[in-house]
Amino acid sequence: MKLNEYLPVPAAIKDIVDETPDTKTFILQIKGRSNRVFKYKPGQFLMISLPGYGEAPFTFASSPSKDGKFQISVRRVGFLTNAMHKLKEKDIIGVRGPYGNTFPLDKMEKKDLLFIAGGCGIAPLRPLIQHVFSTRGGKNRKDYGKVEIIYGCRMPKDRFYKKEIKEWMDEPDTKVYLTVDEPDQTWDGACGVVCVMFPRIKLNPKTSMVFLCGPSVMIKSAIRDILKLGFREQNIYASLERYMKCGIGKCGHCYIKGKYVCTDGPNFSYTQMKKLGITS
Amino acid sequence: MGRLFIAKEDIQTLIERLKEGCDEFIAPKKEHLSDVIFADTKEAGGELIDYEGNSVISPRAFLLPQTEALFEIKSIKDGKFFPIPDKKKRIFYGVRPCDIKALILMRSFFLDEFVDIPYKQKLENSTFIALSCNRLCSEEAFCCEMDAGPVAKEGYDLQLTAIGKGYLVDVGSEKGSRIIRNNKKLFAKPEPRDEKEALETLKCLAKGCKRIDFKKLAGMMNEDKIKPSVWDDIGLRCVVCSGCITLCPTCSCFSIADRVSGDSGIRLRYCDGCPYSGFTRMAGGSTPFPLHKDHIRRFFEHKLNYDVGRYGIPSCVGCARCINTCPGNISIRKFIEEVAK
Repeated sequence: MKLNEYLPVPAAIKDIVDETPDTKTFILQIKGRSNRVFKYKPGQFLMISLPGYGEAPFTFASSPSKDGKFQISVRRVGFLTNAMHKLKEKDIIGVRGPYGNTFPLDKMEKKDLLFIAGGCGIAPLRPLIQHVFSTRGGKNRKDYGKVEIIYGCRMPKDRFYKKEIKEWMDEPDTKVYLTVDEPDQTWDGACGVVCVMFPRIKLNPKTSMVFLCGPSVMIKSAIRDILKLGFREQNIYASLERYMKCGIGKCGHCYIKGKYVCTDGPNFSYTQMKKLGITS
Repeated sequence: MGRLFIAKEDIQTLIERLKEGCDEFIAPKKEHLSDVIFADTKEAGGELIDYEGNSVISPRAFLLPQTEALFEIKSIKDGKFFPIPDKKKRIFYGVRPCDIKALILMRSFFLDEFVDIPYKQKLENSTFIALSCNRLCSEEAFCCEMDAGPVAKEGYDLQLTAIGKGYLVDVGSEKGSRIIRNNKKLFAKPEPRDEKEALETLKCLAKGCKRIDFKKLAGMMNEDKIKPSVWDDIGLRCVVCSGCITLCPTCSCFSIADRVSGDSGIRLRYCDGCPYSGFTRMAGGSTPFPLHKDHIRRFFEHKLNYDVGRYGIPSCVGCARCINTCPGNISIRKFIEEVAK
């Protein structure tokens, strides 16, 4: 009989990085020989179990690495995530996956790419951005066109992956625009929601692909404004968040109009989103 | 194997023999308030060979229990998780055709793409003996209209149809024919007039029944042609008692929770459903479906619209349990009749 899909495998916490005041990035590695969970693609997610506290979906926040380590970024917002923030190095948690679809990687080749992220919405896009910038898997930076990244946060201290984002700025043909809602003394950059940066976009709207993730209000307004600039519905992809309990299309929580965000998504084109009657 | 006949006095013998070969014999039984429910009668006895109406709760509860352990947590510290095998052989006796149809739908759902092992292992070790209906179980029932009764077309191992002196027996699977082979002496060939008798009853029952054009209905829902005030009214009447999702034979949504003490415990799943406001609420408190009327709409659309798209048939079997239990008099039947009109 097939394996019980609900059964997690143990993973060890190898390292913990304090990303922002309320977010930690956990670097994890599967214990033992269960290497199934490593074969994930950008955009997919996994289920994290903390026995006694339950289970929740988290996106892979790093592209697959050779040593089998993978990352998840966890913002402290609820019961499970609060408990996770108390974990230490070498602690064991349960993981299962990978689940969900990936971004349309083939369709992206030779195209200009626009990434729009708000807050912790940078996490699902990070493996994809790393994929574009990496030289692994027989691909390299030349296989893609220009890259522009717009990343908005509430405050400067809420920005994830600060060091890595600086490196992105040095990549060829790449522009990174950062903005904050509430600036402080340390900030001399742009202020406002991600949409305020849209006039700076230099990419050809007719051929570029757009990838979004962030709070639902951000996705909604960003898609509205990006369409006004002439970007095409079928080229806009958003990674959606929904309440999920199983990740395998059974529990029913993430069900929208006959589709399960966990198995049919979580990445949908705007054309698909319109069919489902959702804007975020 | 053709149709067979078993006499009334032989049914009890058959039941006793079947009980010997299983771990749980799940059959209709009268509980203390005289309602019919399904219960394990292997040791306790008291099963009803025949009964009026349908059980209050569908036999779904034995395959997808209210709470059920998904796996064992042997050690939290070391991350040791072990499956809990369920090898119990269950025989379901006296299941009504609507609930048999519901089982077919549940099978396609739980064994689709990602296989749900806890459900599958219970299903595959189960035998289903259906009992077709001789009359409508309630005024609200609309199984004939939903093509789910009064006789099951498939999905059973054996099906009994009551006639004056006994039961006609239809064999629906290899499991069913094995029961016949092992109890050859209890079964005989039916006489032509027995079959005629059953046919007459069936004709009476199906008289005046009009199959619902479920494709048309799904199409209308898909194109959002239903007056918004219909959803408003339904939303106003629902008091979130969750009776509908608890009794529905095709409701399958669940949540998970852990029960631990010290370093070990179990992860369990429990029935959950769309009427609850927390069903779609995410960490941090936001929800994509904040309005109450949208929760009930989801229940209706899932069964009558989206499942038609996915499986080709609606996942409402017309058993009317949700209608009979609803304190707000919400009727999926009335909804269908009004919309499909």
